[in-house]
Amino acid sequence: MSVRRGLLAFVATLLAALATLSACSEPEADLVIYSGRSEELVAPLIEDMEAELDIAVDVRYGDSAELAAQLLEEGDATEADLFFSQDAGALSALAQAGLLSDLDQNVLDVVADRYQDPQGRWVATSARARVVTYDPTQAPEATEFDSVDDLLQEKYRGEIGFAPTNASFQSFVTALRVTRGDDAARQWLEDFSALEPAAYENNIAVLEAVNGGDVSLGLINHYYWYQMQQELGAEAMNAKIHYLDSEDAGALVNVAGVGVLRSSEAADLAADAVDFLLSEQAQQYFADETAEYPVREGVESTTYDLVPLEKIDSAPIDLNDLGSLEETLALLDEVGLT
Amino acid sequence: MSRLEVKGLDKSFGRQSVLRSLDLEVATGCLTAVLGPSGCGKTTLLRLIAGFDHADAGRIRLGDAVVAAPGRHEPPEKRRVTVVPQEGSLFPHLDVASNVAFGLGRTGRRTGSRVAELLELVGMGGFDRRMPAELSGGQQQRVALARALAPDPQLILLDEPFAALDAGLRVSLRAEVAAALRLAGATAVLVTHDQEEALSTADSVAVMAAGAIRQHASPLTVYRRPTDLEVARFVGEAVELTGVADGGSVTTVLGTHPLYGTAVGTGLVVLRPEQLVVGPNGVAATVVEQQFFGPSTVLTLALNDAAGVVRARTNGSHPSGATVKVHVDGPVVFFPGG
Amino acid sequence: MFAVLPLVYLVVRAGDKGAAFAWAYLRRDSTVELVVRSLALTVTVTVACLVLGVGLAFVTTRVALPGRAVWMTLAALPLAIPSYVSAYAWISALPSLAGFGGAALVLTACTYPYVYLPVAAALSRTDPALEEMARSLGRTPWQTFRSVTLRQLRPAAASGALLVALYVLSDFGAVSLMRFDAFTRVIYTSYRASFDRTPAAVLSLVLVVITVAITMGEVRSRGKAQQWRTGAGAARVPVPLVLGRRTTLAAIGGCLAAALLSLGVPLASLAYWIGRGSSLDLDWSRLAGAGVTTVLVSAAGAVVCVLLAIPVGVLAARHRSPAVRMIEQATFAGHALPGIVVALALIFFATRYARPLYLEMPLVIAAYVVLFLPAAVGAVRASVALSSPRVEEIARGLGRSPYGVLGAVTLPLAAPGVAAGAALVMLTCMKELPATLLLHPTGSETLAIRLWSLTRVGSYADAAPYAAALVLLAALPTVWLGQALRQRLDSTETVP
Repeated sequence: MSVRRGLLAFVATLLAALATLSACSEPEADLVIYSGRSEELVAPLIEDMEAELDIAVDVRYGDSAELAAQLLEEGDATEADLFFSQDAGALSALAQAGLLSDLDQNVLDVVADRYQDPQGRWVATSARARVVTYDPTQAPEATEFDSVDDLLQEKYRGEIGFAPTNASFQSFVTALRVTRGDDAARQWLEDFSALEPAAYENNIAVLEAVNGGDVSLGLINHYYWYQMQQELGAEAMNAKIHYLDSEDAGALVNVAGVGVLRSSEAADLAADAVDFLLSEQAQQYFADETAEYPVREGVESTTYDLVPLEKIDSAPIDLNDLGSLEETLALLDEVGLT
Repeated sequence: MSRLEVKGLDKSFGRQSVLRSLDLEVATGCLTAVLGPSGCGKTTLLRLIAGFDHADAGRIRLGDAVVAAPGRHEPPEKRRVTVVPQEGSLFPHLDVASNVAFGLGRTGRRTGSRVAELLELVGMGGFDRRMPAELSGGQQQRVALARALAPDPQLILLDEPFAALDAGLRVSLRAEVAAALRLAGATAVLVTHDQEEALSTADSVAVMAAGAIRQHASPLTVYRRPTDLEVARFVGEAVELTGVADGGSVTTVLGTHPLYGTAVGTGLVVLRPEQLVVGPNGVAATVVEQQFFGPSTVLTLALNDAAGVVRARTNGSHPSGATVKVHVDGPVVFFPGG
Repeated sequence: MFAVLPLVYLVVRAGDKGAAFAWAYLRRDSTVELVVRSLALTVTVTVACLVLGVGLAFVTTRVALPGRAVWMTLAALPLAIPSYVSAYAWISALPSLAGFGGAALVLTACTYPYVYLPVAAALSRTDPALEEMARSLGRTPWQTFRSVTLRQLRPAAASGALLVALYVLSDFGAVSLMRFDAFTRVIYTSYRASFDRTPAAVLSLVLVVITVAITMGEVRSRGKAQQWRTGAGAARVPVPLVLGRRTTLAAIGGCLAAALLSLGVPLASLAYWIGRGSSLDLDWSRLAGAGVTTVLVSAAGAVVCVLLAIPVGVLAARHRSPAVRMIEQATFAGHALPGIVVALALIFFATRYARPLYLEMPLVIAAYVVLFLPAAVGAVRASVALSSPRVEEIARGLGRSPYGVLGAVTLPLAAPGVAAGAALVMLTCMKELPATLLLHPTGSETLAIRLWSLTRVGSYADAAPYAAALVLLAALPTVWLGQALRQRLDSTETVP
């Protein structure tokens, strides 16, 4: 009897749910952005954009690669006007598929050449650098490091933390291949692997491990350290970071960027939005809130004491070469670093 | 084959007492029927003998071994007691031969001669490869019997094995089963609520009511000389008349009849319908109704001087309203009092 | 038909670069290795789930265990834990678990209830008379369990094992966090590494072939076995086994260990992160909104799945013709596909042929149907197969049409099982992430989406309340499943 009553209640709930669901609808937006950058990072900025341009923006958050796949599948049928990507690779793929339209030259002029598509179909909005984080009590000598080769010492066996599945780490390996050639890159990876480095799920876990003294060294992006220092306070922060020599792949600078979809029916608004993302206001946001490097010249962080980008990025690496991720993954697979 | 001895068996489920100090003895090679109405505890008794349930008190002895006693419970597989249940309960995933061979040892299972012999015995030769679902109810019961006989058990328990079958099949099958059991020299207990089945099949009948055995004797004795009124009523149709006993005989409205044993005083006389003979002499009675049953006809007779109504068997035809004469044939049973 | 859409899509995409490319890709050593690796994981997890699921089912339904009801609920509850939550808990506690061992551990811990639930249900209704027969014929309890009980459980265990195997093949969360290169992770990586959909489509097709093979294996193992009881008489409920003190302790220990591994670790990790975060920052209205959306979409997904599953399930239970087998297996095709593949297939079709539905809730529900219809079909089929077709024939004899019989006899008899199937689909929908993420209407969000969004920026403390809410909500249908199971045991537990 009670089974039957439970059943009835269950079905009734479902019917009610269906009714409510069909009543749901959302208002039309002026601009639709597919964002591979996370909501936590960029939502306040989007709000500023809505206020500044006086438009309603809908943002579809997702993983950059998945959204790129989605955009490729949608083709011209997409409702997206703008693609805001965590990395250059996804933007390159869309550009090569002919899905991105050319950006205005005056927009591109704001940003240094190395932070944009040579054909002007996408532009970087912020940059991040690879750094070595270290525990000053266990590995104070890290300040002396020039290159990732300095990590390859027997005393660091099991003492290096890294995030093998993290896109930035993989970009670093690509940079290694681009700067040294595949054979030298493989050699480095094999030596690195032989030291039995500790694999973590992501950069934050690596940084926490170093900060907690679980490992002496870690390979991360710079802004994680700045954010954690901000959160914990400089006193409580144990881990420190060190920038490798600017020519070294271990000091690679990566970008996040934006492109306008060719099929956009709001191309002007989309162009305004790109404009906004490169404006001093937006660039200041990146510098102050996310501790990333602004790509617009003359903008400096007021909250973070960032090492100036010019010092670390002498642009030895063509970012467009970073598209060859497939070979990088094959190489990582080969040496067993997955 | 062994002797079964049950002494002082008690069993309750929660507050409901099902068996109350039950005693039962079954001689070696003897087929005993436990006859009782539904809910009298027959099946519980059987499950305790088989070892499926634990007794609260009392002991069960099989041959020389005590299989259940306070603090002692031989598990079913050690007792060598097999069961033919009401629904057959053949293993649905095994064919007929494998079902029969189930209780045999490894070697017995391999040779298969015993299986063929038993299937022949129960009239199921040639059905080895059939699946249980392909058999009729009667066939399933035959296979269940062969399966129970196969391991040469100390005791076979038959739990209303014919109840689910139709009337004609029931009669023929129980004769065959009784014959097969005797041929195998099996000690067997047949639980049933069907008087005819118990009387016609068993060597001895134990009448059970309210969790105890009321009378255990040969079928004829149980039928002709029931020890109490309840047994009398349950074992067969009883004609009940008041009478006055004076030693070796008793006097009722139908005359004076010899008694089994001796008694004195007023009480109830019980005789069987076939003892009421319609013939040329005796007491006059009026036919109220006649029911034709083929070999015999049952007459409902109103006795004169308002002594009540009795039922008698005859093979002649007597229309309603006719006057006939009846007399009592053979000795009767007398219960003193009310 | 709907379930076949991803197949069409995959064939189109795999053929993008010509059959020669696809063939060459297939024959690469790494593809062969991938198949071996994925199958090894699938077999390991399935076997582990069978052992754990059947063992726990036996202990909780047949043994007189103190607190039996609690153990039953606990044994079903891991279904409420998304594999990515469990995997995260394990990997953050024991980073060295990464790889095959960790993936197998997490997937076993998350999926064994797929075996436990149907087997426990089957155990509660298998006829104990058969086991008593076996005992009286000289088999020990253990021999009886092996030769009789297990055989009776085979259909239930096989259908559970099938769900486990398909789940393992399609799961992304656990294998990606454990960094084990199973099919889904490689397919995903292939999208990310090359933005080339052809290799991913080729690999997905291989996955489909494996799925069909596994499904056919399950159908074979189900065989001709007839499930309704032979003979007359009412089935009794087994008398719980009373064990000795030491065995009872061992049984409780087993239940406790299973609960700790599958529930304890993820819940402790959630508690840790909730403790670390400051609850003041929590946006309750947003959490509630995501919760409501989650429940609504999942419930709708469950209802649609079950409605579609009824015809397929009834046919599968009653008419085993080759055509019906084809239809049934077609529904399974989508089940082993990674959510991202199903989502991309639906994007492909919706943008071309159903534009108004694109990025609306019905599309999400469509993805749920493709992904989870098999679970619903399995539930319908199993519960219909349990009732004897004789009863339906009687209803026909009483003048009902075939459809009348379906409504008046077959479905009411199967209703508890069908409802259980709906609950199962609903909680699976709640946990689903990849397809929901790609297809949800822009601006709406579910708990799983929020959870993903917060964890990817490392805000574990902020994500924990969402994970907790998800587990709690998913626990409701799970507990209900456990309750239904227990009621079935209690209601029939009467004096013989």
